[in-house]
Amino acid sequence: MAADVASGSTVIVVDGVTKHYPGVRALTDAHLSIRAGEIRALLGRNGAGKSTLIRVLSGVERPDTGTVAVAGENLGDGGVRRAADLGINTVHQELSLVSELSVAENLYLGRWPRKGGAVDYAAMRSGAAEVFARLGLDIDPAAPVGSLSLASRQLVEICRAVREQPRLLILDEPTSALAAAEVDVVLETVTRIASAGVAVLYVSHRLEEIRRIAHSATVMRDGRIVDTVDVGDADTATIVSLMLGDTAKAAERPPERDVDRDGTPLLSVRGLAVPPKVLDVSFDLYAGEVLGIGGLMGSGRTEVLRALAGFDPARSGTISVEGTTIAHPTAAVMKRLGVGMTPEDRKDEGVVPLLGVDENLVLSKFAAVSSGPTVRPGLVRRAAERLIGRLSIATASARTPIVNLSGGNQQKAVIGRWLHAGSRILLLDEPTRGVDVHAKAEIYRLVRELAEAGAAIVFVSGELEELPLVCDRVLTLRDGRVAAELTGRELTTDSVLSAAMAA
Amino acid sequence: MTATQTTPQQRRGRVGGPFAGRSLNEIGLIAAIVVLYIVLGSTAAGFLSLDNQLGMLRDAATVGIAAWGVTLVIIAGEIDISIGPAVAFSSVLVAKGAAEWGLGIPLAVLLTLAAGAAWGGLAGWLRARFDVPSFIATLGIWSALGGLGLYLTDALPVVLPESGLMDVLGGSILGIPTPAIVMVVLFFVFAYVARYTGYGRSVYAVGGNAPAARMAGINLSRVRVLLFATTGLLSAITGVLLAARLGSGNGGAASGLEFDVIAAVVIGGTALAGGRGTMLGTLLGVGFITVIGNGLVLLGVNSFLQNVVRGVIIVAAVLVNVIITKRARATRET
Repeated sequence: MAADVASGSTVIVVDGVTKHYPGVRALTDAHLSIRAGEIRALLGRNGAGKSTLIRVLSGVERPDTGTVAVAGENLGDGGVRRAADLGINTVHQELSLVSELSVAENLYLGRWPRKGGAVDYAAMRSGAAEVFARLGLDIDPAAPVGSLSLASRQLVEICRAVREQPRLLILDEPTSALAAAEVDVVLETVTRIASAGVAVLYVSHRLEEIRRIAHSATVMRDGRIVDTVDVGDADTATIVSLMLGDTAKAAERPPERDVDRDGTPLLSVRGLAVPPKVLDVSFDLYAGEVLGIGGLMGSGRTEVLRALAGFDPARSGTISVEGTTIAHPTAAVMKRLGVGMTPEDRKDEGVVPLLGVDENLVLSKFAAVSSGPTVRPGLVRRAAERLIGRLSIATASARTPIVNLSGGNQQKAVIGRWLHAGSRILLLDEPTRGVDVHAKAEIYRLVRELAEAGAAIVFVSGELEELPLVCDRVLTLRDGRVAAELTGRELTTDSVLSAAMAA
Repeated sequence: MTATQTTPQQRRGRVGGPFAGRSLNEIGLIAAIVVLYIVLGSTAAGFLSLDNQLGMLRDAATVGIAAWGVTLVIIAGEIDISIGPAVAFSSVLVAKGAAEWGLGIPLAVLLTLAAGAAWGGLAGWLRARFDVPSFIATLGIWSALGGLGLYLTDALPVVLPESGLMDVLGGSILGIPTPAIVMVVLFFVFAYVARYTGYGRSVYAVGGNAPAARMAGINLSRVRVLLFATTGLLSAITGVLLAARLGSGNGGAASGLEFDVIAAVVIGGTALAGGRGTMLGTLLGVGFITVIGNGLVLLGVNSFLQNVVRGVIIVAAVLVNVIITKRARATRET
């Protein structure tokens, strides 16, 4: 692979680019060059500076210092338009297609070809068919995008960029939302695009993919480019240690605790399948235990929790609570059995922003603060204040609208809601997402305390390095299956990350 | 290499535009109208007579002309509830202009059409520039024009002066009611606009995924202003035709027309959430509503009860549509 690429001319050169945001040095003295036909992987943890680099390359952000040049021409201060003119095309993570329109129309969205003033559907269809034929794709240009699979939509998105004949194609985690079987087509397509002489910058967390298609990999950490390695030469451990540096390893594991795993598990899952994301997941969860579930985006983490909470029906598998198999695990049934789930998206699915902290806490069980059909304000206040004290929620008063609280305190209230309902099995989906370091530590502490008080907790996180800090045991998911179970001494940041990424 | 194949079943969803293939909803509506014709033809005296059929065409025009514009508005994810008062006010404006302000008929008509485009454009500008929800912007127009039409006339009809132009607009050409001819011509214009102009396709893109449309360089504000300017203009046309037919402008005319228009569009399969809808569907929706309205009158149903029956039928028609759409989506995703 590397041989034919070495001959390609250099398409893009990033020279000493630095970008500061107020208080943050997002990108420091970045140097990078990619040749025509080369697929360059871009690796790094969340917050390592990948997004900033992409934003600078695609003209969205202007660097404080340094230059970006395409085939010798400087990007300068030209912004998005100039970047597009120079042939830099970016496919962003969130899809930007109109699902009611046809594939061909989406390829030409806003730039529909005309013939005598009328939109020329024939030209659009043949143009789309030509792009698909060139890339060996079997997609019907006349089909509405909404009828396509997620993978095909991703391909359409890539083809839209390809139609504009880019010199550098930037792909930001194009496979993260796809099931394993769908990934192949995307990878093959990217390979074909590159072999036509396009330089590709490919962001992904999946090492296996990177090994299959990339020639080289650039690793970022803390806003710096740490190294660029030949993918063939570097083993997984090397890449992981480049990504992590020394800092993460220093973090403290909590002291080992004895979880009584002899009796009946509080929650038992066998062969759970919710296609296409979850194929086969089994585990037992005991009272007093914090079980971590880690995995990359798209590995099926959230889908497992949603099935356990009864929000989505499972295709197959059994869920048992205290040894009793649940025949019809609907949301109402699981709630009654003491299962409570806090969602990943706190803002949209977690809090009711304009209600007070008190009502946000008690809305899981109004019956507990009512006499007869009437909700008693006094009972609401007392229940809320008890929880606010127990969870140390920092709020001016129980009635303060919950949007006025910090993210970490909002998260505590969302967890507290299930304590109010008397839940014993807590399913926490990304409970530390978007909260600061201090709040993270508080949430870890709270989770440990709840477990010690007898709750059984599933702690899902995409920030794999936090799992050893809070969990007694960790399952890593990969492609909808349990890839590894780590406990005791084996449970380290390195081992979790390797298990989730490794080929 | 094989990418995901599109099965014929998956292609059942509609792309938009009147000539792109038939959806279940449209076939269902055609069937419903045929059934109504058979039932009413055999039970309602005079339903099939030429006079009644021509009368239905004239009634259809009152709903249909505005419905073409409202279809685009709803596809774009917006709503316009100002139609009824806007039509009434237009009829007042054209009558006042011709009879009291001495403009003469042609100039009064032009003034009315320009005014319609202007108040529609104002609603669109409020939506585009200040993010005033279109429901509220057009509710304001609804209330203001309704009040103004009655205020200017003291709720009395304003008689139009004799005029050959108005006789033609209110009468027939070769036996066919002029409003119906206008409606049909405008139908083809709007069907073309929706399917074959950049503006029409932008409307679908904005309604389907506004952020994606913006990223693709589509000017959202321009689209939104144009949408409401168009419905304002179409309301004015309907108002002029109505005045011509009645021989007067009437501030209380066309009361409740906005709901007939919206019902016709939604029955025709246009999604209130935006992104999906066709002119052909709306045409069938207009036909459906007109036939039912006419049939209920001919059957001698109590006029208060007519509203009850229509309410039930409208909800039932949309319910069927929603169920069909859901089922189609479910088969697609598994």
